[in-house]
Amino acid sequence: MAPKKLRRARLSQELCERLSRYQITTCQDFLCLSLLDLMKVTGQSYRNVQKLLCKVSLACAPKMQTAYEMKVRRAVNPSSAFLSTSLHGLDKVLHGGVPCGSLTEITSPPGCGKTQFCIMMSVLATLPVSMGGLDGAVIYIDTESAFSAERLVEIAGNRFPAYFDSDEKLFSMTRSIYLYRELTCGSVLKRIKSLEEEIISKKVKLIIIDSVASVVRKEFDTKLQGNLTERSNFLARGASLLKYLAEEFSIPVILTNQITTWLSNGLAIQADLVSPADDLCLSEGASGGGKRESGSVTAALGNTWSHSVNTRLILQYHDLPTRQILVAKSPVAPFSAFFYTVEKSGFVLQDGKDQTNLTWEGTNPALQNIKPATLHLEGKLSSELTLISEREKKPRAPAIRSFSGGNSLGCFLSDHWDLPARAGQK
Amino acid sequence: MQRDVGSLPLAPALRARLVAAGFQTAQELLDTGPCGLSKEIGISKEEALEALQVVRQECHSDATQTAGAPGTSRKCTALELLEQEQAQGFIITFCSALDNILGGGVQLTKITEICGEPGVGKTQLCMQLAVDVQIPECFGGLAGEAVFIDTEGSFMVDRVVDVATACVQHCQLIAEAHQEEDHLKALETFSLESILSHIYYFRCRDYIELLAQVYLLPDFLSEHSKVRLVVIDGIAFPFRHDFEDLSLRTRLLNGLAQQLIIIANDHKAAVVLTNQMTTRIGQSQSTLVPALGESWGHAATVRLIFHWDNNQRLATLYKSPSQKESTIPYHITPHGFRDVQPPAVTQNPEGTELNPRKRPRREEEK
Repeated sequence: MAPKKLRRARLSQELCERLSRYQITTCQDFLCLSLLDLMKVTGQSYRNVQKLLCKVSLACAPKMQTAYEMKVRRAVNPSSAFLSTSLHGLDKVLHGGVPCGSLTEITSPPGCGKTQFCIMMSVLATLPVSMGGLDGAVIYIDTESAFSAERLVEIAGNRFPAYFDSDEKLFSMTRSIYLYRELTCGSVLKRIKSLEEEIISKKVKLIIIDSVASVVRKEFDTKLQGNLTERSNFLARGASLLKYLAEEFSIPVILTNQITTWLSNGLAIQADLVSPADDLCLSEGASGGGKRESGSVTAALGNTWSHSVNTRLILQYHDLPTRQILVAKSPVAPFSAFFYTVEKSGFVLQDGKDQTNLTWEGTNPALQNIKPATLHLEGKLSSELTLISEREKKPRAPAIRSFSGGNSLGCFLSDHWDLPARAGQK
Repeated sequence: MQRDVGSLPLAPALRARLVAAGFQTAQELLDTGPCGLSKEIGISKEEALEALQVVRQECHSDATQTAGAPGTSRKCTALELLEQEQAQGFIITFCSALDNILGGGVQLTKITEICGEPGVGKTQLCMQLAVDVQIPECFGGLAGEAVFIDTEGSFMVDRVVDVATACVQHCQLIAEAHQEEDHLKALETFSLESILSHIYYFRCRDYIELLAQVYLLPDFLSEHSKVRLVVIDGIAFPFRHDFEDLSLRTRLLNGLAQQLIIIANDHKAAVVLTNQMTTRIGQSQSTLVPALGESWGHAATVRLIFHWDNNQRLATLYKSPSQKESTIPYHITPHGFRDVQPPAVTQNPEGTELNPRKRPRREEEK
């Protein structure tokens, strides 16, 4: 969205010409000047400058709507407010499903099911409204080349066998999923910028980017000085573009993220499995209490990115094959956890073991500890990071480990969650 | 009338000409008249007339200020201020511990800043306040309206519906317990639809829209004179990227802060801003500090920092002119922002929200 030119703000022609002599051509330049500067530049009196400011502001300011109007709009078209995930417990807690008009992030260790979730959501978005879908096309930006069309067809056929009863229906579903393979940050950004027109022409109802973290971490090594700011800029610009698209067209946007490791006493170390580049995730109360370095695994891309996404779902391992999906950050849902398995038809919630949060506690979604698979990590990591996998496998002693005062919830959280489940399971 | 010509708010070029022509005081200008002025300076008669009108207006407002007219006067004694402050209301947050440490609630005519990590509850508190400011006066509220400026897109109408419904139910409970006339009458107008219709929502996508909206706010507030709360959810988000020129950012933020202070004072509204946390990299460790830099810390009068301690959310009053620094726990429930309930008690959370030690001028009792 290029800044608006002053001509379109209904300023008089001669004023615009005069201002352009001072290199002020857009509303942005105009509004960034102080009143005295404006008086000098326009040659007008104080009151006139104030009136001009109001005029230019009117051209730039957003429209007002009352919350009631927003509610009415939602009520008129209830299905347009959420995309149901077809996981009943999750939908209930999220007040309908993945919200339209905001960014939803899925984070998990490798192999937990992010891409599966994305593929499942793609199928759901193409379903007609009567079945809980959005009856539209899907734009799938794949940076890891992990998308499998066969899996897509398998999920569709097994999850909705009644609907996809003919090959024709399956093919028309696959025809409405547009896949883009982008391998660099620059190309991802360019693709996002070009999406506006595509959304209109193809009637897109869902945007998926799988995954943001992989391109960013490949390209920006945060150990180098300038890279951190460049990376934050890229992430912030991407986030605001996507938010604009999500809100303008009222569609959901799903992004996937990876994990990183941080040590409670200091900066993050290079510990993730995917790339040597790493990020800074901090513990906020790193007091002197826990001198022993212990690590835990959290969502990657840092604190600012956690602010940018509106909803954060975390997938983590539990007892294989059961895994857990946590609602870590959501404006409408409390912190909750559900167990699921990945089957032929995609995700299946374990109904009996639903764990909705009863005491409205929660944890910091930026530092939420994520359980990686115990078996996966052992062979691959060296040095003290095997401590993590070791810890996961140990019986659940309460956390008398000397974690520092910050959010090293680690086992404490998993204790809290698993206790009732354990009682039922065993 | 002895005002120096150089200090008048005229166009700079015109001012320079007047000074060069030898005019020194505003009275001289007024005595000369438009025709004389146009001949001496070499401007058209219309321009001269315009300039004189500006001068006359300036002198008139100067005169009323020095005469001490109560409406426009900006000076008063501390006693008057005390009376004003005591009569003024607070916006309660439904979390009595938080209201306590704030001295009764979010104060009007002050800027309150809420900093916190992602997901800790800043937007939730903003939505709660946008509903609470509308509570009718007989229940202890301000019966005001709210302006919600959203830069991050986390405003979800469904959540506001939940919070508002809980608030209406709470007031209904009070009305049933007391059975007073005005309570019941107030309840007729205090419904979900009316609450939602009085939250004015603006979605600003970048800092230009935010600046433009804040420039237009005074006019908007003059039209909607019942607005008592302005929330800017996410003042950090538009300023945290794409700004190579940090001095421009500081200047814009300072300008914003000044305008918000003026708005808060002139319209007797509370301004609530939410800020993000950023990581400051120190020698051996890194800490989380509020974003937007050190100088922004001066903008807000009251600063609250929300953070986590294991599973518990805590709010710390970090900066306040009248209350001391303290930390309290709070919960976010499906009904909104609430106190921490003692674990053994299974009572309805709405039963114990209001602080029994509230000031006696509130009419509701608990």
